[in-house]
Formats: sequence, structure tokens, C-alpha cells
Amino acid sequence: MSDDIRTLTTRLAEEPSSLAFLELAESLRQRGKLDAAYKVARGGLGRYPGLADAHDLMARILSDRGDLAGAFDAWSDALRLDPLRTGALKGIAFLYFRAGDVAAAIAHLERASEADPDDPSIHQALARVRRESTAAAPPPDTAPAPAPISPPAAPAPDSPFTAGVEDERGVLLVDANGMRLAGELSADDGSEAGDRVAAQLAGVSREAARATRLLGLGTWQSIAVESPGAHLILTAPTSETVLLVTRDASFPMARVGLIADRAARTARSWLEQVG
Amino acid sequence: MSKVTAGLDRVTRVPGVRGALIANSADGLVVAEQLMDGVDGRAVAALAGSLIARLARTAHSAGLRPPVFVHLRGDEGSILAAPGADGLVLLAVVGREANVGLARLEMLAAAGRLA
Amino acid sequence: MRALEPWVEAPLQSFLAESSARLTLLMTSSGQVVAQHGFGRSLDIMTAAALGAGIVASTEELARLMGGSRFEALMHQGSRQSCMLSAFSTPRGRWIALVVFGPETSVGIVRLFFDAMVQQLATAAPREPVRPTPLLAEDFEHELDASLKALLGR
Repeated sequence: MSDDIRTLTTRLAEEPSSLAFLELAESLRQRGKLDAAYKVARGGLGRYPGLADAHDLMARILSDRGDLAGAFDAWSDALRLDPLRTGALKGIAFLYFRAGDVAAAIAHLERASEADPDDPSIHQALARVRRESTAAAPPPDTAPAPAPISPPAAPAPDSPFTAGVEDERGVLLVDANGMRLAGELSADDGSEAGDRVAAQLAGVSREAARATRLLGLGTWQSIAVESPGAHLILTAPTSETVLLVTRDASFPMARVGLIADRAARTARSWLEQVG
Repeated sequence: MSKVTAGLDRVTRVPGVRGALIANSADGLVVAEQLMDGVDGRAVAALAGSLIARLARTAHSAGLRPPVFVHLRGDEGSILAAPGADGLVLLAVVGREANVGLARLEMLAAAGRLA
Repeated sequence: MRALEPWVEAPLQSFLAESSARLTLLMTSSGQVVAQHGFGRSLDIMTAAALGAGIVASTEELARLMGGSRFEALMHQGSRQSCMLSAFSTPRGRWIALVVFGPETSVGIVRLFFDAMVQQLATAAPREPVRPTPLLAEDFEHELDASLKALLGR
């Protein structure tokens, strides 16, 4: 074991709540000790789930381990916490580039360039992606469709809400990262709004939990939202999921609440089965 | 008594209401307040204001108009919010046994007079 | 986030996580940087620290001239991002914070969790007395360079 790793390990052991895990895991990663780096980073993330540095670090480790979907998630988490984090923007750009989605790679690198115009590595990466995309571009009529990196695997086609809650539409089950697990939601114009809304819901849940905790109101149970045209209820079937039920404003809010309670029970059972 | 003070007064008279305040939802800062001891108006304005702003963005994502009333229920009490005009929001902190239905009606009436 | 002293890390990290601040600089009232988050270049840190310390010194003098108490915080609100400059007391003397934040958070949230950080710093600060150090030590440049490297993680 090298001296710096020994020193960092000792420091982390003496002060487990310190941020020494960042340097230790990074040192381990750079030495190719990916399993050890992963364990240290995972422990640190458990203590500091709101730390963008920790998610960024975890993404680099997962990327080195070949878990590109995991790296994508971790960099997405880092960006959610720190939208101008150039390391995460570059990382996601790299993943898109590897998957052949040059436009998405360039878009992320341009965002990184706006965030840090003085970082020469971003300009070099942009130039390289543009150069290689031009060189590799086949004639337009034969161009194969790019294979974008999909953010995490799509939910199983079967849904917990096919029976018992009247209608799957207007019920959305979302994980802690704002990814849709089940359900559908349509906007007024008929377009699918589920993913857009899901991305917002994880943040709502965190804010609700923080508000009730800091104001001495205990654990959050539900949020009822009256909007002209619709009634919404948000609940947390488990600590890692959020459930949204929407109904037309002609439904009394208390009835929407009952539907949400039933949907939450259904979701819990389904999560136990698929989890 | 100003319209604002009168509105806060009516809300705080509802049984179980620990305090009411008007906040700027964009800034999360208190504009006026009537609170019982132990209720931190500054924290309520900041935390609830932030949550209301996020809920408004969520409603927008779903193609809905901004919320007119929000009830955040915790197992020890609730926060009620009625957004009004000019980015102001009327907030109330209530206990578990509060008459939320009555508080809601008073808040919707008071929020309609905010400007 | 980088801090020169480990006890600053947890309070600052908690503030950053809760407030969603984009940039934060903690410095002594003389402009010596203690911790930073979000800065990428040493020049930016040095400039921001010097300007921040200068602005706080000016406004505190202005408050003194007007016969009032010190300003708690200066807030500059912009459409894309806002800036808070605040001086506060710690067991290690008077410090200054420069916080830049965007529309993803609010003044109220930043101030609420900033005050919590100030309390946490007061609790976390080691109790040993601070030894006065010469303003321009012989190895000033070396120390400055080492501090900036530590703050930028290089």
C-alpha cells in the first residue's frame, strides 16, 4: 500500500465523516483498484448523498469498471446537484460519443465550455468530436440511426396500476432519481408528459422531506395540490419512490387521496415483487 | 387594520393554526407574519417557498396551470399554501388536529386579496 | 469543494448540499482564503477574495460612519445569478463568505442554510488559540501557492 493511500485510509478511519473518502477513492481508482475505490466511494455517498463531487467520483469509477449505464446515472446525479459541473458534462458527452450520438455529445461539451471557457481540454474534446463526426459521416441516405445511450433501463412493461386504481393514466411511480418506474401521464395536448414530470418529482420529494423535518412536522406523508383543471396527490409508497396521482378537478381532493392511498399500497406490493 | 393583517388574523383564528405568514415565493423571504412562539417564519418562508416554486414547475411540466392551494402533510402537522398575485404566497403552519378545511377556505379568500 | 482545514469541510458541505450554491468562497477578513467550491482557477479565487474583503471593509466603514451596526449581508440579485457577501464571527476571528447562486434556489434558502453553516462552524472550530502570523512571511509566496493548489485540488 502506498504512503498516500495509507495516510488517507488512516485519516478516514479516524474521522469517518470527513471528506477524505474522495481523495482515497480517487487514488485507488487511479491505481486500478476499482473494487476498493467503489467500496470507499459508496460509503462516502451514503454519508453525503447531496455531494456532487461524490457522484462525479462514483461515475468515474463505474466508467472504469465498464458500467456505462451506472456512470451515466451517477453523472446525471452530479449534474442535478451542480448543473455547471464540467467533469460530469464531459463524462456524459464521452458516453454519448461512444454510443454514436454525436449531437448529444457536442451539446454537453458546449454546455461545459460555457461553464468553463478557459478549460482547454473541453475545446480539444469539442474539436475532436466534431472532426471525427465529419470524417465518419456516411452519405445521408445511408446513414444508420445512431444508437444513443439510453438513460437507465426502461421500466418493465407490466405495471402495478392495471387494476384497482380505476385507470393507469394519471398515475406515475418514480424512483429517487426522478426516473419513471410505472404509469403514464398525458399533457392537455395529448403528449406524454410522464418523463418530464418524473424528473421534477424526485426534487419535490426531497424538498418536502426537508421542509417537514426542519419545521418539526415529522416525516412527510403527502402533498395535495389543487390546480385549475386538476387535483394532484403525491405520496411516498417507500422511502425510495414517489407516487403521483392526478385526476380532473371535478374529483373531490379527498377522493383523489383515497385513490392515491390504494395506488400506494399496490405500488408497494409490486415493488416487493419486482425488487 | 390592513388587508394583509386582516387576512393573517382570520387564518390564525382557525383552530389548530400555529401561525400564518405571507412570503415572496421567488425569494423565500417573509413579507408579513403572525406566528406562535416556536414557529420560525423565516424557515417556513424559505422552505415552503422553495417547495411551492418546484411544485409550480412540476405542474407546468404536466401542462397544468400553477397551483392555487397546496397541503404538505407531515405526521406531526402540515404546511398549507395559497399562492396569490405578484409572486406572493400565503402560508400557514398547522397542527395535526387543525381544521384544514376551514383554514383552506380562509386562506383562499385571503390569498385572493393579496397584491 | 476544497478546504484548507478539515473542520470546515462538513459545515460547508452541508451548506452547499442544502443551498444549491454554485460558487462559495470562505475567507478571513484580510482576504486569506479558507475554503472554496466551484472555482476553477487560482486567479479567480485571488481576485474574488480581494474584492470581497474590500467590499466588506468598505460597507462596514460606511455603517460605522452612519452610526449603525454592521451590515449582516449584501445581496446582489441578477436575472441569471445572484451574489451574497456576508461577514460573520467565528472562534477563529471574523470571516467573510462570498456565495453565488442561480434561480434553482432562492435568497431565503441560501440565507437559512448559511446561518446554519455559521453555527456549525462555530461548534466545529478547534478551540486552541490562534497564533498571530506575520502579514508577509518570508515564504509568503510559497504558502500562497501551496494554499491555492490545495484549494483547487491540484
